[in-house]
Amino acid sequence: MKINKAVITAAGSGQRNLPLQTLVDRDGQTKSALTILLEEVLQTGIEEIGLVICPGDKDAFQAAAGAHVKRLRFIEQAEPLGYGHAILRAHAVTGTEPFLLLVGDHLYVAQGSKPCAKQLVEIAEAESCSVSAVQATHESKLPYYGTVGGRRLPGRAGLYQVEQVIEKPTPTVAEQKLIVPGLRAGHYLCFFGMHVLTGSVMDTLQELISQTGVPRGVHLSAALAKTAERERYLASELQGRRYDIGLKYGLLNAQLAIALSGPDRDEVLTHLVELLAQK
Amino acid sequence: MPGKLLHLITSTDPAIRNQSVDAHCRAAALPELMAELDALESFRRRSDNLYERVRALFFLYAIHRFHLPQKPGVTARSLIPFAGYHHLLQRRFEEAIATFLKSQTVEGPSDAISSALAVAYYKLAIQTLADQVRRSVRSVRGNQWMFRMGHPADHPLRLQPALLQRCAEDGTYPILRESTPVRMDLTHCGWSDIFFLGMDYPEGAKVLNVSIDLGVRGRDTATRPPIETCLRVIDEPLLRLTSVDLGATADLTHLADVFDFAKDYLGLLKAAVIASGIVPPGVEGSGQDLAELLARVVGNGRGLELVSNVNGIPKGSRLAVSTNLLASLISLCMRATGQAASLTGTLQEDERRLVLARALLGEWLGGSGGGWQDSGGVWPGMKLIEGVLATEQDPEFGISRGRLMPRHRILDHTEASPLMRQKLQDSLVLVHGGMAQNVGPILEMVTEKYLLRSEAEWPARLSMLGILQEILGALRQENVPAIGDATTRNFFGPIQTIIPWATNLFTETLIQRVRAEFGDKFLGFWMLGGMSGGGMGFIFDPAHKARAQSFLQERMSAIKRELQHALPFAMEPVVYDFAINERGTFADLLAGPAALMPSGYYALVTPSLLRQDRNALPQLRRVELDKFGAACRTRPELGGMVQTLFDAMLPRGKAEAGEGRTLPALLEEFGFDRTQHEQIRAELKEGRIGLAQNRLPLSAVIEDARPEDVIDATPWLGRGASQQHATLGLAALERGEVAVVTLAAGAGSRWTQGAGVVKALHPFCRLNGKHRTFIETHLAKSRRISRQAGNWLPHIFTTSYLSHEPTEEFLSRQRQYHYEGEVALSPGRFIGLRFVPMARDLRFLWEELPQQLLDEQAQKVRESLHAALIGWAQTTGEASDYTDNLPLQCLHPVGHWYEIPNLLRNGVLASLLTRRPRLKYLMLHNIDTLGADVNPALLGLHIESGACLSFEVITRRIEDRGGGLARVNGRLRLVEGLAMPREEIEFTLSYYNSNTCWIDLDKLLTAFHLTRDDLTDEAKTTTAIRAFAAKIPTYITLKDVKKRWGHGQEDVYPVCQFEKLWVDMSSLPEIDTRFITVPRLRGQQLKDQSQLDGWLRDGSAAYVESLCEWE
Repeated sequence: MKINKAVITAAGSGQRNLPLQTLVDRDGQTKSALTILLEEVLQTGIEEIGLVICPGDKDAFQAAAGAHVKRLRFIEQAEPLGYGHAILRAHAVTGTEPFLLLVGDHLYVAQGSKPCAKQLVEIAEAESCSVSAVQATHESKLPYYGTVGGRRLPGRAGLYQVEQVIEKPTPTVAEQKLIVPGLRAGHYLCFFGMHVLTGSVMDTLQELISQTGVPRGVHLSAALAKTAERERYLASELQGRRYDIGLKYGLLNAQLAIALSGPDRDEVLTHLVELLAQK
Repeated sequence: MPGKLLHLITSTDPAIRNQSVDAHCRAAALPELMAELDALESFRRRSDNLYERVRALFFLYAIHRFHLPQKPGVTARSLIPFAGYHHLLQRRFEEAIATFLKSQTVEGPSDAISSALAVAYYKLAIQTLADQVRRSVRSVRGNQWMFRMGHPADHPLRLQPALLQRCAEDGTYPILRESTPVRMDLTHCGWSDIFFLGMDYPEGAKVLNVSIDLGVRGRDTATRPPIETCLRVIDEPLLRLTSVDLGATADLTHLADVFDFAKDYLGLLKAAVIASGIVPPGVEGSGQDLAELLARVVGNGRGLELVSNVNGIPKGSRLAVSTNLLASLISLCMRATGQAASLTGTLQEDERRLVLARALLGEWLGGSGGGWQDSGGVWPGMKLIEGVLATEQDPEFGISRGRLMPRHRILDHTEASPLMRQKLQDSLVLVHGGMAQNVGPILEMVTEKYLLRSEAEWPARLSMLGILQEILGALRQENVPAIGDATTRNFFGPIQTIIPWATNLFTETLIQRVRAEFGDKFLGFWMLGGMSGGGMGFIFDPAHKARAQSFLQERMSAIKRELQHALPFAMEPVVYDFAINERGTFADLLAGPAALMPSGYYALVTPSLLRQDRNALPQLRRVELDKFGAACRTRPELGGMVQTLFDAMLPRGKAEAGEGRTLPALLEEFGFDRTQHEQIRAELKEGRIGLAQNRLPLSAVIEDARPEDVIDATPWLGRGASQQHATLGLAALERGEVAVVTLAAGAGSRWTQGAGVVKALHPFCRLNGKHRTFIETHLAKSRRISRQAGNWLPHIFTTSYLSHEPTEEFLSRQRQYHYEGEVALSPGRFIGLRFVPMARDLRFLWEELPQQLLDEQAQKVRESLHAALIGWAQTTGEASDYTDNLPLQCLHPVGHWYEIPNLLRNGVLASLLTRRPRLKYLMLHNIDTLGADVNPALLGLHIESGACLSFEVITRRIEDRGGGLARVNGRLRLVEGLAMPREEIEFTLSYYNSNTCWIDLDKLLTAFHLTRDDLTDEAKTTTAIRAFAAKIPTYITLKDVKKRWGHGQEDVYPVCQFEKLWVDMSSLPEIDTRFITVPRLRGQQLKDQSQLDGWLRDGSAAYVESLCEWE
């Protein structure tokens, strides 16, 4: 399985401006968050990226994409009908092909030299199935994430067979349905904001929207839960961390993490220590 | 033979495993039994299997309690080490057992040490089981996270957005309302839903459980789910809890208040808030801020209001009202926080199971707990609930055979057709007989008997499974008479074989009268829950149901009137209308003008809101009052609210009950001494008297009696060796020189936890085929002796303000049980008015005296209750008159010392002496010393001694608390427990006072400076008594008194009173007193209902029957 396409969603009411924020990347270059994200994708070898945006945002996103704009195909989501609908809007770009899916309000910092998106794409290509990036997350954070339940694949570090997917579960439900043997107590595998999905996931989304009659409220997690029933679907813990720049201080946290992962680490740390020493 | 009993535990063959331990022990000699005990003790220490361990513990208990003491070679007199007793109180059972075993090794087996070991093994067994249930409750998936969460920032729950959606017009939040049926047990499951039992023998744990709606006949126009709970958001950062049925509301602003269960009547709501995870148990004691926690769940500055309402269903209905209320509240809170998929409507099966798991947790938190079928109202219709074998996926696997959580299977229409359901509704009359009793001891008894595989009880249990199958078959065949037949057989067969106390005179009388009235139209009786007398079912031919309802209503009230002084009734009997609820618990969302709480809520909170300045009320409160006002004007069902609110704001004068007499009138009538009362109050307030001051000085030297201090009548009593004494006694009996005085003035506060029934009239046990009262039993013993002597013993029962009229009326109705001799009542001539206790005394009792620690959570609840009661005493006024109860409950008898002086003063003795001038001796005994009779040999012994008084004592067992025979500063006397300077001293005394006392009348009169002729001179007698009374110490005691209110609700308050006790006569040098050791069966007292089961099984009941002639 070869992955040639990616989709980034950035049409959510609270996330429209987030990719346009400016940061300094790990090499000290000033860039938009969108550019950093696009570079993460492009390092996987993918060349075509569908960007789902709100009507009227195209100019701003074009500007923020800089040199990578030519890789982009803008897809407008005319009405705010939810995440599932936004992804389905990108069907025209992905067709029946597998694709990398990212959210526009997350940035990633890999622990090693290989970017997170590349790690995921390599696994998906090797396994020839849908793979979601996940991170072991404390139960107190469950109200923010889609969460998977399943079991570890024997002999495969960080790779899981997904059996259940539930969007923002309560810990009560999580404890009953999403416990994954081998994780620390009170920790669950929550989505990382990055997936490789096969073309059939688009079909499932379409099917769910048709069933409910209204696209609003159909979430990707529901489609992924169906996917887990129908086909091989894996989850992978990547060597890296995600940063939700939509949270309070999320952008600051992301900036610090990026800066501390690069050559300017000492300089940034020095600034931080000075700041701390002042109070 | 060692290991024979172990084989019963470890064998995989059910035929061996299910054998009773009793048969093996009866045949064994002492050395064999001791070897078995050693083997069991060593096995239970090494076994990894929880249930094998527990069974070994029950075996050890049973051998020490019922078998070892009967074996020749076991000494009666022995001392119980106080250190072991102290360990018991502290729930350090292993250490207690080690201490007692060491003592047994040194001194050899003894009755006393066996009694201590029996208690320790029993408590350890129950504790081990309770710990396992607790672990299982915590380990149920879905419950675990709540114990990990310790900080508001980690709170993972969020309120459902729909509940935060304000009404566009008035800005109020919507109300989420849950309506929940209660459950009834269509089979009586033989208590097999007790957690321990389901986990030990899941195959036997089966219940047919039906969810029902109720209405009280004559009050409600239609049936409806009796439980209604509501939740809504409020604009204040607090938890507002309201129990409409208990009339309590509170705003909780601190986390610690949420975990303070007994502070008010809101414990159940608090348990629900915790068990639902809104305030998870993990945050208890974390010192975190409740407002911060609520901000996380509900939003900044906001809180939650939770309201519970039970539609007037009384306590003790045996319909699991409180568990279903808890389940309803938990379901509501879980829906509100997204832990159930649907905010409204019914619940899914996995959600219902989680509600059950959380309800178990909530019950444990609240220190209570029923069976696992009790949350049955959450499920719809009729269902079979069954124990399940634990598998590898279950946390119980390898620990217990069964799972904690049972399986529910809802019966479909092939198993119980709509026609059958209708037939059941048309045939069954559900009632509440008005009795409310604590079934807690029964649950422990059943556990013990099942785990011991007791000879009669275990087959009875197995036979109940057959009855269940019969009922299931009858349901399929739509055969109501067959159901009635099966439930009746169940009640009169296995249920009573397992627990004889499940029935009582009230129930049996009622069944008899129903049978007499309806003949074959009465299809059967059906006992609901743990005990009869409360919730019960009667099955009739449908054509006769309406008449049966009227008949039962009228007849239950009539029988209650007959027995109201003999049995603990909490309320007037009720007949219900009922319907099967086919949807289980159900929620709806009320928004806009419909968003109103139950009407009772407004009756409770509106008066205090109206008293406040309207402008000072929060905006939402003002809007809500307007909305409620508008609804009162337009909604017909709220038509009576104006009158209700008027009554709440301007309460009627306090109705004086107490058979129409006011407290001042009663005090006047019964000889209340106001001067003495005020003096006691002053001394209480100044600290001159009190619990601590009851004690002898610490410097007093208190030693055990020496062998020569007592006459040991145990070896020869009843064996002919004392023929000369028997002859002497019998001759005195023949000459008519003896009378019996039974102390029957008390209210039996331990027997009914202060319910105020007359203990003497209580039909406590079925003897010789019938329920017998204490009075009847004592008369039956006097009848036998009288016939033996050929002269009828006069039998006097002392009475008090509380017991005189009921006893007189009862005896007259029973025609004195056809006793041919003279039966006289000696009415009390002294009375006291109870005081609100001093906080100092409450603290002394609860904090300084050794107290039995309870199980962890129950202890927390008790400590919270104690703090609340100390607060009550302080705010009400320490040492003020206790008047906030029925007048009769505010009075107290002033101790049994006064009973003999009463006899001198009230003319009863004078009159008797006129008719029986040869009367010389009295045998005085407690109402509950059932083995005491006018034994000719003991009488002869007393006569021969020439003493004024002879007290009977028995060798001590661990349960014999309250003083004993001692040498105090060298002088032999009985010391009351209240007077012991230190608790441990009692454990150095070998003999316990049975309070049976032989009296030489003339010598006693001489001590009072009276003659027989003076007894007709009341003034002289009164002066003599007053002078004598000054020599007898006055003790301050705390007694529990019940205050009843609402629908069968009861509160127990500790109240202060004083008393003088007869045992202190033995301390007076001028009274020649002797002490006789008698066998335990003769001298033991039956003080507590929980003793009854052992009393029946250890030969005590048979002994008493052997002394009686009933006809």
